[in-house]
Amino acid sequence: MASVRFNDVTKNFGNFVAVANLNLEVVDKEFLVLLGPSGCGKTTTMRMVAGLEEVSSGDLYFGNERMNDVLPKYRDVAMVFQSYALYPHLTVADNIGYPLMIRKVPAAELKRRVEEVARRVELQALLTRLPRELSGGQRQRVALARAIIRTPRVFLLDEPLSNLDAKLRVQMRAELKRLQHDLQVTTIYVTHDQIEAMTLAHRVAVMNNGVIEQLGTPKDIYNNPRTLFVAGFIGSPPMNLIPGEVQNGTFASAGGLKVNGLARANVGRAVMGVRPEDVTVLMDGSGERNLTAPVYSAELTGDSTLVSVRVGDHLLTMRTDRNFRGDFDQLIGVRIPADRVYLFDQETQKRVDF
Amino acid sequence: MLRSRSAAVTQEVAAYCGIAIALVITLFPVYWIASNSFKYDIDIFAIPPEWYPVNPTLKHYRAAFIERPFLQYALNSLIIAVSTTAISVVLGTLAGYALARFQYPGRWRHQISFWILSTRMMPPIVTIIPLYVAFNYLNMLNTKPAVVIAYTAFNLPFATWMMKSYFQDLPVELEEAAMVDGDTRFGAFLRVALPLARPGLAATSIFCLIISWNEFLLALILTLTERSQTLPIGIAGRVTQYHTYWGEISAAGFFACIPIMIFAFIVQKHLVRGLSFGAVKG
Repeated sequence: MASVRFNDVTKNFGNFVAVANLNLEVVDKEFLVLLGPSGCGKTTTMRMVAGLEEVSSGDLYFGNERMNDVLPKYRDVAMVFQSYALYPHLTVADNIGYPLMIRKVPAAELKRRVEEVARRVELQALLTRLPRELSGGQRQRVALARAIIRTPRVFLLDEPLSNLDAKLRVQMRAELKRLQHDLQVTTIYVTHDQIEAMTLAHRVAVMNNGVIEQLGTPKDIYNNPRTLFVAGFIGSPPMNLIPGEVQNGTFASAGGLKVNGLARANVGRAVMGVRPEDVTVLMDGSGERNLTAPVYSAELTGDSTLVSVRVGDHLLTMRTDRNFRGDFDQLIGVRIPADRVYLFDQETQKRVDF
Repeated sequence: MLRSRSAAVTQEVAAYCGIAIALVITLFPVYWIASNSFKYDIDIFAIPPEWYPVNPTLKHYRAAFIERPFLQYALNSLIIAVSTTAISVVLGTLAGYALARFQYPGRWRHQISFWILSTRMMPPIVTIIPLYVAFNYLNMLNTKPAVVIAYTAFNLPFATWMMKSYFQDLPVELEEAAMVDGDTRFGAFLRVALPLARPGLAATSIFCLIISWNEFLLALILTLTERSQTLPIGIAGRVTQYHTYWGEISAAGFFACIPIMIFAFIVQKHLVRGLSFGAVKG
């Protein structure tokens, strides 16, 4: 078991910079999620840890051991691939036992440990099958079993749930979280699904264009996004981001939206962010409001209703009661509390109000 | 219902007729050679033709394999073809794997594999004089190793390219998984990539075997006596200045077909999968 430390790590593919000057320490026993859209460098980062990609510059450490030039075989990591990468010509038992077979573990012990780990992921009955005879969820569990049959220094999970159907994904997510807690192995988990990141991680590193935009606990990332990118990426539905101008503590945008009493008085051109659940819908004429506008659309999601109105060229979405009964084009009031507003610089895309 | 059913029957009958015609065209020469090998000389030329051996005889087999050194030719052919195939497949597999998996720097990336294939773009006969001179200098004329070397030179580019395309069709993640699981690159190749490339190995082997078993031109120049001459050379040798021994030619020719047929039969399961590999990913 070990910490994983990136010291100014850069990875180039020709002229393309996949990961730029990455500085990150994954502490021992931590569950770190690398979150970002496809092409953001998260998988490349993970592959460098596995030794499947060379580090172009900078240093990678496990504990105090520099790993840059260490072959994958000697890194003692276990990885679950997005495609699971099960050996198609080997049975489930041989797939799971492969890491031990390579390490020349005696046959009897190998068999015992394969059975033990198979029981843990409920594959006992399938040990003699070939991967092509398994369902997606079963394959996923074989890949997982192959990773946990030994206790590696680091677990690497590359979008392990993305090929499962929605129901199974939620179930496996809980199992993964429990498994990591039980095994206490440093884990790096790559995903583009912000719900997975929020639910699983001790800390989340949000990546974009090869750099970490923000590193923090899920709560921190959600409550205090530092950049426009993070603000727009985290949350479902995502944060409303509306461009406008801040003068004398008041934000005003095209379309007549005004928010008074902001902490930062004069910012100039800015983007205002507010989460859908922080916006209140006012049905009657009473109460202080920031905007009065006709309902653009109302979607019942089950536990709540997503109501949107137009603000200039943008849609402002708010989460409200599931009993919302507004019709298309009905005028409603919108209330945005000043203390729930995030302000971002339009040029630098950084938070300005904290 | 009835109509569509009779249409289906008609279609099936037509398909089988087509297959039958194709089979007659391809198999008749083989049948004719087999049939002639059991006939007396006079019956081979009978008009109207004798469609099957009316008075069968083993005379030609006796002549070819006991009186003349066709067993030796067959043995030479076997040694040369098997050695060539083994060397070509082993080297071609390693080279093909390297070309499929490793990135060569800069502009060499595509050119190395093209350069390998380009050695097959000239007719083999172009190389015969330099090869003859080289083997003469090395005192290797009329030896089996000389023929094996020459054949390998011509089989290796194809073997390399065939294996390269099979390895390219294998997901690289499988080998990566093996390496992360603790295997070396060579271990991942041996335990994961190679077993999965089995159809490719079968297809490449039979391809090399057929080419080197049937080759005539290089063997004709590089061999002189029964010490190294192969079956095709031996068979051609029965066309003499005064007489063409059709019976012996037929007997030896039919005999020469058999090993390839047996081998093809053994590997055909892999071969069909091999030839359709990549078209349908399973």
